[in-house]
Amino acid sequence: MRRALPFLLAAAALPAPAVEQDPTVLEARRAQLEALRAEVAEQLQLQAFDLLDELVFGWTQQPVFATDTPVVLADVSVPVGFGSGLRALIENHFASVLVRNPGTHLVLAHCPECTAVVVHSTARGTVVARGVDQPEALAAAGIQTASRHALFLDFEAEGSALVLRARITSLTPALPILYAKTLSTTTSTPALLRSGDHLKSAEEARKEYLDALEGRGPVIIPLRIGVRTYASGNGAPVPGGGGIAISATPLVWLMGGAEISLTPARAWTASFSVGATWLPQIETGFMAQARIARLLTGSVSSLTHPDLYAFVGGSVTSLFGPGAALFHSGNPDLTQVLSGVLTSVQPQSTFGGLQVGLELRAKNRIGFAVFMEALPTLNDASSIGKYVDYGILQFQAFGAEVAFCF
Amino acid sequence: MEILLLMLVPTLADLVFDPTLDVWQTHQQARSLECVRMTQAAAHERFPGRVPEPSARATEPDADAMACTRRIMAEGERPARDEAILSSLSRTVGDIAEVAEATVPGDRMWHVESFYPDARVASKIAVAARTHLAERGRSVSDRVPLLAAGDIVVLGSMDPKDAYRVACARYYAERSLGSAEAFLGIMLVDPRETNLHAGVCVDGEWKWLR
Repeated sequence: MRRALPFLLAAAALPAPAVEQDPTVLEARRAQLEALRAEVAEQLQLQAFDLLDELVFGWTQQPVFATDTPVVLADVSVPVGFGSGLRALIENHFASVLVRNPGTHLVLAHCPECTAVVVHSTARGTVVARGVDQPEALAAAGIQTASRHALFLDFEAEGSALVLRARITSLTPALPILYAKTLSTTTSTPALLRSGDHLKSAEEARKEYLDALEGRGPVIIPLRIGVRTYASGNGAPVPGGGGIAISATPLVWLMGGAEISLTPARAWTASFSVGATWLPQIETGFMAQARIARLLTGSVSSLTHPDLYAFVGGSVTSLFGPGAALFHSGNPDLTQVLSGVLTSVQPQSTFGGLQVGLELRAKNRIGFAVFMEALPTLNDASSIGKYVDYGILQFQAFGAEVAFCF
Repeated sequence: MEILLLMLVPTLADLVFDPTLDVWQTHQQARSLECVRMTQAAAHERFPGRVPEPSARATEPDADAMACTRRIMAEGERPARDEAILSSLSRTVGDIAEVAEATVPGDRMWHVESFYPDARVASKIAVAARTHLAERGRSVSDRVPLLAAGDIVVLGSMDPKDAYRVACARYYAERSLGSAEAFLGIMLVDPRETNLHAGVCVDGEWKWLR
């Protein structure tokens, strides 16, 4: 969005038609620009917060002072080009994290004279500077600074990295720097440190990040409940013309199997499952299917939004019972159906399928999939029609599934 | 073999994604990418969700990764000279500070000041140098040595190459700097350039570092 800012600024600089001179429109445009600037600052602000969290966490592990020590937050400088709004946000966050982590032994002290510009005249000359830059001037004004320290936070945007430089200076005349630290977003771990009450080490944060990305490990067990419907065919021809159209009943499948992640963060997955269907008096069936899926919404699975996968796969289905007679090429063999009714020899059909579909997956917990299935051996079956016909590739079945992952 | 190929294809296809070839971005957006080549192991460490761990099998070749991230400040958002200085601030100042340390032996209290047309950028340069020196264990002071107003008027009229040498002598004459102190100055000599120069002032002697 920040990339749009120059264009908007340029557009704002063009000669405006008379209708755009309306103060309401100008006000709205100004508000829009402000909103864009705020958005940029917000993105940077999150990176700045990460660096501050890491800084404070470092102090909790290795405190600068052995006992609680008053520190004046003397200066927070933001990257050149950003304004006081970002500075205020950083100051508030830093104070909040520091207060919630007393193990740092840093106690924020209130000293308005330290940050104010003071004028100090001596026999050598007159110096105009901030109070923290000339502690002797503060001492002359009766402000006790000997036991105090000044903390400086400096942020700068260096290319694609945000760099934080922090230093603590003793407010004595020599102004010695007691502590200095540089942290950069290029070297720090993308943090889950942001919970101010319970900061973590970079290693812990990284492990949590990986765990969250990978879900519950590279292998999950999906349980799928699905239904497949088959297109109606032209039916078997009868003497005198026309035909008797018999549609295959939709089949409800219950399937279970395993799914593995082929790449980090489930950008590619592969699954294998077996299933069964049962329709009283009509048919019983078994199926095995394998799928390979690719994440479409980004290159890593999302921690906050549902993920959409596209998949291709193959299946082998075996049906037994009178209903299976429909799943043969050509016309249904009525003799076979009647023989199944009169004897125990049931019609049987085994056929393969190729699947193409989409699956919406929420946090690897629940998924919903729709797909089309091509059944090449049934291309000329009179009882099975086609939903989509691309000539060489004909889709005879449409399916939908709900998956529960364990 | 087929299974092996099947396993490799998605992995390789994932790795060859090139952000600079994104058809939806403008030329300006493509130019704002900053790319760094690194080993697969380093890339996995930094981007665990995007780059897989290197194979433990020695027979498989180790791949390189190119990590591209967008610059925080887009082209034109800051003056070109400031952007050139600030975008490489850590590296430039780090180089200067290391040369300064090597030039001045012994444990002295370091003072750092930068001379740059923009006061905000000057402050950034000085802070970066102080922080770098302090992090390397040097004694560093936040105090800036001062000169009298008359000195500054005279120095302002001099050629920069001479002005810093004279200023160094005046620091000692005025006792702004002592024998246990060293001064590191970082500056632009010509306002049209984007290279920072530096010099140290020790015992009243000015020495150019770069």
